Amino acid sequence: MHDPLTGAAANRRQFLALAGLGALAASGALAGCSDPKASGPGTTSQSELSKILPNYIPNTAVTPDVAGVQGANGAVSDAVFLKYPSSPVKTVASMPGKGGTYTTMTPLWGAIPPSSGNGYYDAVNAALGITLKMQPADGNTYGDKLPPLFAADKLPDWIQIPGWNTATLNFGQAVSKFVDLSPFLAGDKIKDYPNLANIPGGAWQAGVWNGKLYGLPVYPGGAGITGTYFFRRDIFEKLGINPDSIKTPDDLAALGKQLTSTSAGQWAFDDLVGDDAAYASQLFHFPNRWGVDDAGKLIHKYESPGLIEALNWHAKLVKDGVVHPDAVAGKNQDAKQRFWSGKVTVNSDGTGAWNGDDAKSGTAANPAYRRGAFKLMSSKGAPTVELQPGAGMFAYLNAKLSGDQVKELLAVANYLAAPYGSAEWLVVNYGKENETYTMKEGNPVLTERGGKEVATSFQFLVTPPTPTTVQSGFVDVAKDYGAWQGDMVKYAVKPLFFAMNITEPSQYSSIGQAVKDTMKDVKVGRKPISAFEDAVKAWRSQGGDALRSFYDDIRNKFGTGQ
Amino acid sequence: MTVHESAPAKPALIAVEEAGREALPAGRSRRGLSRWGKVKRDRSLLLMTLPAVLLLVVFSYVPMFGTVTAFQAYDIFNGFAGSPWVGFSQFQRLFTDPIFWHALQNTLVLSGVQLVLYFPIPIALALLLNSIMSSKVRSLVQGIVYLPHFFSWVLVVTIFQSVLGGAGPLNSYLREHGMATWDIMTNPETFKYLVTAQAIWKEAGWGIIVFLAALAAIDQNLYEAAAADGAGRWRRLWHITLPGMRGVIVLLLVLRLGNALTVGFEQMLVQRDAVGRDASEVLDTFTYYYGVVGNNFSYGAAAGLFKGVLSLVLILAANKVAHMFGEDGLYRR
Amino acid sequence: MTVRSVWEEKPTAAGQTGKTFTIVIVLAIILVPLYSIVLTSLSTQESVNIAGGLVVVPNGITWEAYRQIFGNQLIVHSLLVSFGITIVGTAISMVVSVLCAYGLSRSGSFGHRTILMLLIVTMFFSGGIIPSFLLVAALGGYGNYWSLILPGAVSVFNILVLRAFFSGTAQELIDAAKIDGAGDWRTLWAVVLPTSRAVLAVITLFYAVGYWNSFFNALLYMPDNGMWPLQMVIYTYTLQGNAMPGSGITTTGQYLGHQQIAPLSLQMAVVTLTLIPILLVYPFVQRHFTRGMLLGAIKG
Repeated sequence: MHDPLTGAAANRRQFLALAGLGALAASGALAGCSDPKASGPGTTSQSELSKILPNYIPNTAVTPDVAGVQGANGAVSDAVFLKYPSSPVKTVASMPGKGGTYTTMTPLWGAIPPSSGNGYYDAVNAALGITLKMQPADGNTYGDKLPPLFAADKLPDWIQIPGWNTATLNFGQAVSKFVDLSPFLAGDKIKDYPNLANIPGGAWQAGVWNGKLYGLPVYPGGAGITGTYFFRRDIFEKLGINPDSIKTPDDLAALGKQLTSTSAGQWAFDDLVGDDAAYASQLFHFPNRWGVDDAGKLIHKYESPGLIEALNWHAKLVKDGVVHPDAVAGKNQDAKQRFWSGKVTVNSDGTGAWNGDDAKSGTAANPAYRRGAFKLMSSKGAPTVELQPGAGMFAYLNAKLSGDQVKELLAVANYLAAPYGSAEWLVVNYGKENETYTMKEGNPVLTERGGKEVATSFQFLVTPPTPTTVQSGFVDVAKDYGAWQGDMVKYAVKPLFFAMNITEPSQYSSIGQAVKDTMKDVKVGRKPISAFEDAVKAWRSQGGDALRSFYDDIRNKFGTGQ
Repeated sequence: MTVHESAPAKPALIAVEEAGREALPAGRSRRGLSRWGKVKRDRSLLLMTLPAVLLLVVFSYVPMFGTVTAFQAYDIFNGFAGSPWVGFSQFQRLFTDPIFWHALQNTLVLSGVQLVLYFPIPIALALLLNSIMSSKVRSLVQGIVYLPHFFSWVLVVTIFQSVLGGAGPLNSYLREHGMATWDIMTNPETFKYLVTAQAIWKEAGWGIIVFLAALAAIDQNLYEAAAADGAGRWRRLWHITLPGMRGVIVLLLVLRLGNALTVGFEQMLVQRDAVGRDASEVLDTFTYYYGVVGNNFSYGAAAGLFKGVLSLVLILAANKVAHMFGEDGLYRR
Repeated sequence: MTVRSVWEEKPTAAGQTGKTFTIVIVLAIILVPLYSIVLTSLSTQESVNIAGGLVVVPNGITWEAYRQIFGNQLIVHSLLVSFGITIVGTAISMVVSVLCAYGLSRSGSFGHRTILMLLIVTMFFSGGIIPSFLLVAALGGYGNYWSLILPGAVSVFNILVLRAFFSGTAQELIDAAKIDGAGDWRTLWAVVLPTSRAVLAVITLFYAVGYWNSFFNALLYMPDNGMWPLQMVIYTYTLQGNAMPGSGITTTGQYLGHQQIAPLSLQMAVVTLTLIPILLVYPFVQRHFTRGMLLGAIKG
């Protein structure tokens, strides 16, 4: 099943992870911020939240092949569908649109499809009865484009804003540019939109700002983590390596020499730390944002001893020559290519990287290709993995829209959020049968034309809870992933300030940049660990310590959401 | 190729002014007209300057006033009018920001290296070309060398990346012959030399043309006299040619010094990902990334204002230095 | 100097060889990269694989890369955008600059020194990126093509070069026109412009190249990649290596459909497209350079 969102999705799960990060946006009212126009209290209390969140009314029209597994701390793995139901149900009775024309803006990690003459766009718009002008913009620089867009006040009608960009945008104030959806969707009102009601309340949570509901959830899920470590199962099998025996970072490092052969152009590892140490956090037990040390004091990721361990560990790998030089040079956009072509055997990536599309690319290079993920490893003790809140990205409607227009778009959102297994889902994700996709062995597969025109676009406006599905005919991948995820959720823990929409004072929004940049150099040994420590010191004085007292305040007032 | 001009190698824009004024009787008469009369007489000319002046007022002068936002905490929701005034606090933040200082340092270092290493090449090539007899060959070479001046930095960096990068012929050749590949495009240590090499590749042609013109302006009789006195070609070079070019060299140095802080913004921006922020951050990219992209407009404006003031100081200082050498700088004393 | 002066020494063989060698190297450094870029854009997948990257020795020629490029909506559109802003922008800039330059070139005319000073100040001091951005955004330029044209429409340097040239126009010609009753406009049109072909050609080239190369303005003001000029396309898809839109590369990076052409060829084809207009126009204008440019360079 082609899930056209993989690029973003490779990061999709990563997004969910970063959603936790993104749950912090700026409205600056807390901690006596100097911003005079701050609007409303940042975090919403539990009781307030329950009034605002839409009720959860699960859709029972479709049943999966493998049900989701309930893990620890409320984590739930995704349901698995091995094939698309042969007679997809219709969940939306009539065409939602009324012929309006609206502009949109969404990110896209991958090749951007043509914007006119696009059969896929046309098919979806025709089914919706509306004209949504899709303008996907490159995902990697999406965040760069947002501040100028806001500054110029040229927001489109329906725009998606990833959670990790909200801090920079001073989002607590930025929300004033968007429609407050509470009067349309809060509590019981969601009944008018049954597909939207199918999205659990936890996913709506990070779209609540200043006590009001603003965001439509994108890619909600119950088992989002930043990412994990993958390996080439076919290569392991050939070499007789048992992946389950790799339990600690040292075990992993020990594989280095065995898996590296520079003459064959093969290296053991790609970048294993991730941007802003997103992947190493699970392995080395440090938080993705804030945690507490043994004395109960708040410490930030940058101050954790685990992070230093991780950076040193990785720098040693680079020094030992077992990390691919392109990864060392920071060439992340080719990371997947390296994995597919076998130039690296072990890499780190978002969980969205593991799907049928990936298998298709990999097997194109090598028919024996098979991706696997290590069972969660740990540097000490039992593994833990931080759970990410229900959704990492939200889409917002422009406040300039009239009430009727908002209703029209919400009806459209209801259609777009049709659950997997429904008739509408096929249209939204694949377009028109026999033009942009065909059904092969019960699963939709893109045609050549579809390959050029279909991309994650409408899905970034609102999405139903996504199950694990079979893409491109790779049934085993879906099964493997489902099994791995079912195991992984057993170790889930909620991080500090889980899903609390905290608005950080905006002047601290970019103090982390220097540390992130320094980490890029330290993890490959271009700079010594002392450079990182210096960067953290600077971070502390530029605002890290101030943030700590800010969060202490929140902890005292609202708890930690765990 | 000689330059038809009354004042050889004299870099004064005002010189033309004076030449004009001397031709007064045939030009605009100054006598006998009131102010208003003059405006009436010259209304066409004034009208002609209007569009350009308007555009400049709007797009150059108004932003100058916009720099006051450096003293605000600019907020995109409140605009200029609504954002609070915070005095020098943006500057305080700026001066305690290690990234800013690093960017400044980078800017100066990159400028400095370019300044020193750039000049010898066009001078040497100009001397070389000057000694070529055939004007056809000279024109051809000049034409070709000047071509990269018209390429954008995006293009130049792409060309460098294509040839010297991992997939380029250079590294292919090295790989084929079993040698270690050279990591030129992504090495932060050697970045300053890469940047200079790019600047030379792109701008040597322009320099050559300027220096050739300067060479042509040197009085040939001096050479003849020196040769008669027995001075060989190297001595002539040292005693006549180079001193004869001094004016132009100093002028160009002054110009480049004055522009030191604006060093290759686009050039650095497109290479920032390849070589890392550390090596490539200059004041302008700092303003863009931390000011615009980071949604800290006032902060970026403060950096921009600082840069503007410092540039002005540099230009004036450079000009003073030029005067000290006895040369006209950008304007005569 | 096509004849050696009497007092000059005879060139030595070593000297001549050395000079020739240096010149060949210099020319090669400039031309070889350009040649291999164009060649790679015309090379088959096999040649690129054999070469391991950029092709230097031709091994198989195909126009496939260009076929795909011209079938690619984004690239064709960016070509149109680049041409559009270059033509419109150059026209606007030239008209505005020529007028202004002439208006300032008559010595003794009212206020021209003040206006000149006004212009020159902007060469040394400017508001900076952010105030300019905020201004253009406030004027509605964000997402509009004029933000790529108007802010940079006036180059004071170019105006000064034009002005210097116009001032030098023989006074007698202008007087003759005056006697015939021509006003300033006619004088400009009928007398000064026809004799200024060289400098006009040069400055037109300068402006045109400036617009053709515009990149940062697009980065700042154009979020929609349907409105990008060619330079943005090169930056994003060649330098940064992102997958080209509509190329059938799905979000997981796999190719669907056409596999016969190496992505490097596609990238080089786009680069070549940027090069071609410059390479075409340059030789024609170049012969004007030697005089017009020198004048400006010395003065400037």
